[in-house]
Amino acid sequence: MSILIDSSTRVLVQGATGAQARFDIRYCLDYGTRIVAGVTPGRGGETVEGVPVFNTVAAALAATGANASAVYVPARGVKDAVMEAVEAGIRVLACFAENVPRHDAAAAVAAARSVGARMAGFNTNGVISPGRCKLGGIGGDRAAQIYAPGRIGVCSRSGGMSAEICWTLSRAGMGASTCVSMGGDPIVGMRMVEVLKLFEADPETDACVIFGEPGGTHEIEVAEALRAGELRKPVVALIAGQFQERYPAGVSFGHFAAVIKGENDSASAKRKILAAAGARVASSLEEIPQLLR
Amino acid sequence: MKLLEDHAKAWLRARALPVPDGRAAHTPEDAAELARALGGRVAVKALVAAGRRGKAGAVKIANDEIAAEAVARGILGAEIAGQRTRRLYVEAAVDIAAELYLSFGFGRLAPQIAVSRQGGVDIETVAASDPAAIVTAEVDAIRGLSVWQAAYLWERAGVESKLVPLLAALTARLYTAFRDADALMLEVNPLAVTRAGDLSIVGTMMEIDGNALFRHPEWQDLELDETGPGGRALNERERAVIAADRKFQGGAIRYTELPGDIALFVSGGGAGLLQHDLMLAAGGRPANHSDLSPASIDKPAALFDAIFANPGAKGLLIGMNYLQLLPCTLIVEALLLSIKRNGVDPRGFPIVVRLFGPKEDEARRLAATVPGIHYLPHGASLEEGVRKIVALVGA
Repeated sequence: MSILIDSSTRVLVQGATGAQARFDIRYCLDYGTRIVAGVTPGRGGETVEGVPVFNTVAAALAATGANASAVYVPARGVKDAVMEAVEAGIRVLACFAENVPRHDAAAAVAAARSVGARMAGFNTNGVISPGRCKLGGIGGDRAAQIYAPGRIGVCSRSGGMSAEICWTLSRAGMGASTCVSMGGDPIVGMRMVEVLKLFEADPETDACVIFGEPGGTHEIEVAEALRAGELRKPVVALIAGQFQERYPAGVSFGHFAAVIKGENDSASAKRKILAAAGARVASSLEEIPQLLR
Repeated sequence: MKLLEDHAKAWLRARALPVPDGRAAHTPEDAAELARALGGRVAVKALVAAGRRGKAGAVKIANDEIAAEAVARGILGAEIAGQRTRRLYVEAAVDIAAELYLSFGFGRLAPQIAVSRQGGVDIETVAASDPAAIVTAEVDAIRGLSVWQAAYLWERAGVESKLVPLLAALTARLYTAFRDADALMLEVNPLAVTRAGDLSIVGTMMEIDGNALFRHPEWQDLELDETGPGGRALNERERAVIAADRKFQGGAIRYTELPGDIALFVSGGGAGLLQHDLMLAAGGRPANHSDLSPASIDKPAALFDAIFANPGAKGLLIGMNYLQLLPCTLIVEALLLSIKRNGVDPRGFPIVVRLFGPKEDEARRLAATVPGIHYLPHGASLEEGVRKIVALVGA
């Protein structure tokens, strides 16, 4: 098992005819992902890398039975794309657009959550269950090399860091059950603690690695769940961005969500709170495999 | 992006919300003229993007046009929250019987509303002294705020019954204005109850979403109000990066200059944060922080231009997380383009490249055409890239 996606997942690509989608579809197919349909309104009947393109999600689902969607629709159209997908019955999504208008993001996430759909993003590079399926560009052309299969659940606020963490794991002879890049925008479809609860229930995951940043409360919610005993599997946490504490509050250096506003928002505070709740806190990538042993 | 009071109130007034009559003034004479037109008694406020202006002495009541002119003379040119006051906002003074508080913003997943019977003071002060006096709730982003949800909140906040329907109707309409403006924050403080029993939006702060400007041509040309660390003004290189980010489609670039000597071209949000931490731990001093997400060549090239134009930079680390969404060649092509147009010689300006992913071999061949670029072997860690540039620039 794994979480969110596995070898039976049938993937739909929304915005399939765009450049980034074409780039990723090729690598996904090479990886073995079952991409069964694409959607671009007005381009129905075309194919991308052999994948049939439909005008609407409903038509694509009726013809192919897709059950997860990789959403490439750009920021200004992505709210409608998400709503269309969940209305048609999609329950797992990865949304790559970044800097989505906040009101649109809130509406799209509300639509997804109201029917129990699980959405990575906005501003994710995807989800991968190594050796089984990948949703999106995650892993690029060398997904097999970077993301080895294994028993560690990985959840990262940064797509790039999900790769670095999994690559570090694979070089240490370990691997991931599933790696979820949650998305770097301020509003994302799943809270980090919700992803960890999926790993908690997954018999093929033994421990989790999280990558956190300053700003927001994802990491604090994880600490609360650890303290409450809702997460029993070991959690290793790498929290970057301590340098921001040298500068005044309210300055964002990376993801738009990574802005320090309150006293528990800093990297240092999060490390302390997680450590006190029983997480093992790493200070570099190289330490992660040791802390998992 | 913070909207100044004249823009924020214009937006609300255009939606027939109860905003006192008022306009911007550039000179004390303008202020006197406006006071006369508005009937004499006016509030004169500094038009700067800052809260707590009242405390800072930037809001004054004048009883007539002569007083308005004098008060305006005092505020114009004054420094408020680090900003020089160049313009004023003059509006008809409101006869206030009671002051309430209302704001919209965002929580973890959804829009959020906060209301309080205690307006006219810092909401932070109320939160500290009497947290129960602030009632907050999530708003359904799809349905919006209903009048009855607003009524329920004001009732819980303890306002008198006869005010509830009035407040609820106004609050629901204000939420619509908040959403239609693509605002990230809208605060009305005070929300005044006048002696005549009407409601009036006296104090307003509004922050709009820079990512939604495509829906708002009316704000397209607003002056950049972004500031660097410590509220300092942006320098020309930082402004150039923002301009390039807006000009070219797709992806995003960000650049913040810092006092050190090692330039950072880092990406992916998280990997950049980690490398910045690692560099400080290794004794290096970053000359900037940056971020880049997949884009055409123009954006990374503009970021390199800023880095090479920074007189403080003595070397450069290109520390990318393992690329998954774009080819390595794009970064190297942008680098070579910028090296050429800025006349940089990497033999005297060390450049360390930690860049793996699609089209890596081709990127290596390209980089090798310029002597002095240190392209790390495949598999080198982020830590190794940091150690290498710190050693080269420190030496």
